Amino acid sequence: MSTGDATHTAVAERGTRKRRVGLKNGGKSKNKKQKTRPPSSDRFKLTQKKQKLFQKRARDYNSDDEEDESKKAPEVTIREKIFSDANMGPNYDEVEEEEDGSDKDENSDGEDHGEIQSGITRFAADDGCNAFKMAFKSIMKSKGDDALGPVLSAQKNLIAQKLAEEEAEKKAKGQARKAKYLVAEKGHVKPANHLESHEKVLIGVATKGVVKLFNAVNKAQHAQKGLNASRSKDAKVLKKRRKEAFFSELGKTPRSDSKAQKSSNANEEEAPAWAPLRDNYMLANPKLKDWDKKQETNEGDDFAAMSGDESYED
Amino acid sequence: MGRFKNNKKGRVNVKPIAMKKNNQANVDHVTGDKIPKSFVFSRTKLPASVKQLQMDLRKLMLPYTALSLKEKKRNTLRDFLNVSGPMGVTHFLMLKKTASALSLRVARTPQGPTLTFKIHQYSLASDIAQSQLRPRCPPDLFKNPPLIVLSGFGTQELHLKLATIMFQNIFPAIDINTVKLSTCQRLVLLNYNKDTKLIDFRHYSIRLQPVGVSRRLRKFVEKHEVPDLRNLQDVSDFVTKAGYGSESEGDEEAATVTLSSDLGRVNRGSTKSAVKLQEIGPRMTMQLVKVEEGLCSGGIIFDESENGDEKIAKKKQNEDGEEEEGEEGSEEEEEGEEGSEEEMDEDLE
Repeated sequence: MSTGDATHTAVAERGTRKRRVGLKNGGKSKNKKQKTRPPSSDRFKLTQKKQKLFQKRARDYNSDDEEDESKKAPEVTIREKIFSDANMGPNYDEVEEEEDGSDKDENSDGEDHGEIQSGITRFAADDGCNAFKMAFKSIMKSKGDDALGPVLSAQKNLIAQKLAEEEAEKKAKGQARKAKYLVAEKGHVKPANHLESHEKVLIGVATKGVVKLFNAVNKAQHAQKGLNASRSKDAKVLKKRRKEAFFSELGKTPRSDSKAQKSSNANEEEAPAWAPLRDNYMLANPKLKDWDKKQETNEGDDFAAMSGDESYED
Repeated sequence: MGRFKNNKKGRVNVKPIAMKKNNQANVDHVTGDKIPKSFVFSRTKLPASVKQLQMDLRKLMLPYTALSLKEKKRNTLRDFLNVSGPMGVTHFLMLKKTASALSLRVARTPQGPTLTFKIHQYSLASDIAQSQLRPRCPPDLFKNPPLIVLSGFGTQELHLKLATIMFQNIFPAIDINTVKLSTCQRLVLLNYNKDTKLIDFRHYSIRLQPVGVSRRLRKFVEKHEVPDLRNLQDVSDFVTKAGYGSESEGDEEAATVTLSSDLGRVNRGSTKSAVKLQEIGPRMTMQLVKVEEGLCSGGIIFDESENGDEKIAKKKQNEDGEEEEGEEGSEEEEEGEEGSEEEMDEDLE
């Protein structure tokens, strides 16, 4: 049954949603307003809580007990003064309800609004009552006080200490972040000046390689330019030329797409690595050399001139 | 059921958008070789600039790589291996950043050797573009695979030989008979410095400029900028005026190439053109520290730090005049690492 109800409600919602499609824009603005609403709702909550506290304080208030009150009162006024001076109106109501100073310290450190003052104010603040603030202000007649308001000497030292601590912590955090950043960026070098001398050397080396390759390509492709590939007579010549050019280029460059520079490459002048590509394939090996000597004794000389593959295609 | 569950957990969320099976061939039509494809990824979390370096490397390996590869934290190497099989991926490039060093591992799947490089310095493509006066990036620059130039590696040392072969195989081969020069637009250079054992990694774009034409004419034809003819009496002045030569014209002499065919409107066939390189892409200085037989596992063929430790240990044992003997003994133990001789001699001095 509950599921049935759930489905019913789901259907109902969907139905309502369908209707509201056109009203999306209105809904959006409503949402926006909704977003800004929570502070006011909190404000509402806090003021209610505050009222209770006010009442409690009023009950506990004892003018004879000066030590406690003197501590409390200036804290109250400090907070009020600071808030009024620093124009932190909206944040005024977001102050938390804890009476413990240590908890406030944590708050001051944790929620940093980007102003050092805010931490101090959180620390120094206590829940006070608006009425008391007004009363005190009227008594003091707002003489030219410094930003922190009427501060007792002990309070001043405490505040100074807190400031120093916060700065130190910020510094430490900044340094830790910097150190982390340095470790992450280790080895990353931004070239200050394009084309330093070493770079020029490297570019020269690379250019030499490219020029070699392009020349080889030109040679190979130019050789077959004049010939028409479809004519059978030319085809053979074409093939022969291509092979010769290819092998000669291979003699210089072991692979067609990479060139080891002559600086320390002793193998360049040697024959290519793959056996059939060498010019003396099948001629060096005495077993293979005379493979057709049985059939044709006359053509032994011809084989010496051409590579072994050529004979197959005749 | 348990097996099915396992598969789902270990599935890698790979979305290689750049790799569409109908677009890319597995086998090169011309050479008949298999086209090598690669994955560039990292198994650890990377800081921002290293992530950019990874992106730059991916662009470098285009078009035969997964540009938008997405990896999840729970993907292991095994997952990548499983995916690479059906897709025909042959190489993995893995970046790893630890507190001490940034390392790049180049490995051949499925069981190929793994080269580990320690990157001492790197610069991103965006840094380089910022440092240049006129950064150049034509739109179809990454449509074709780059050429590769290896220099200074030599053929003596085993680990260097292995590195050479590995890098040559990462990029597809070209056939000089049929290749169109217009498709060779990029170049990767790896330069090995024997003294410092560092490998310089650079990435350039190739540009061809006609040679023998005065600067003004060339600029006019290339850029269609209307020239300023205020001070000239006659158009012939514009065409024939001997402009001052730029300082790079001397270099052009060495870089001249005779093209076999027309390349665009400006560089006509059978005329001289100069090859000009401009740096794009990341710049790295790295050192080969480890070579392993398997894919990040297996026997260690070469280890840079091992070399150093052995040296130090031997030195401690033989302090006085017996140093040379001890080190010669250790040389015999190491296989084919002739480079170590030089290192030890240097240390003695």
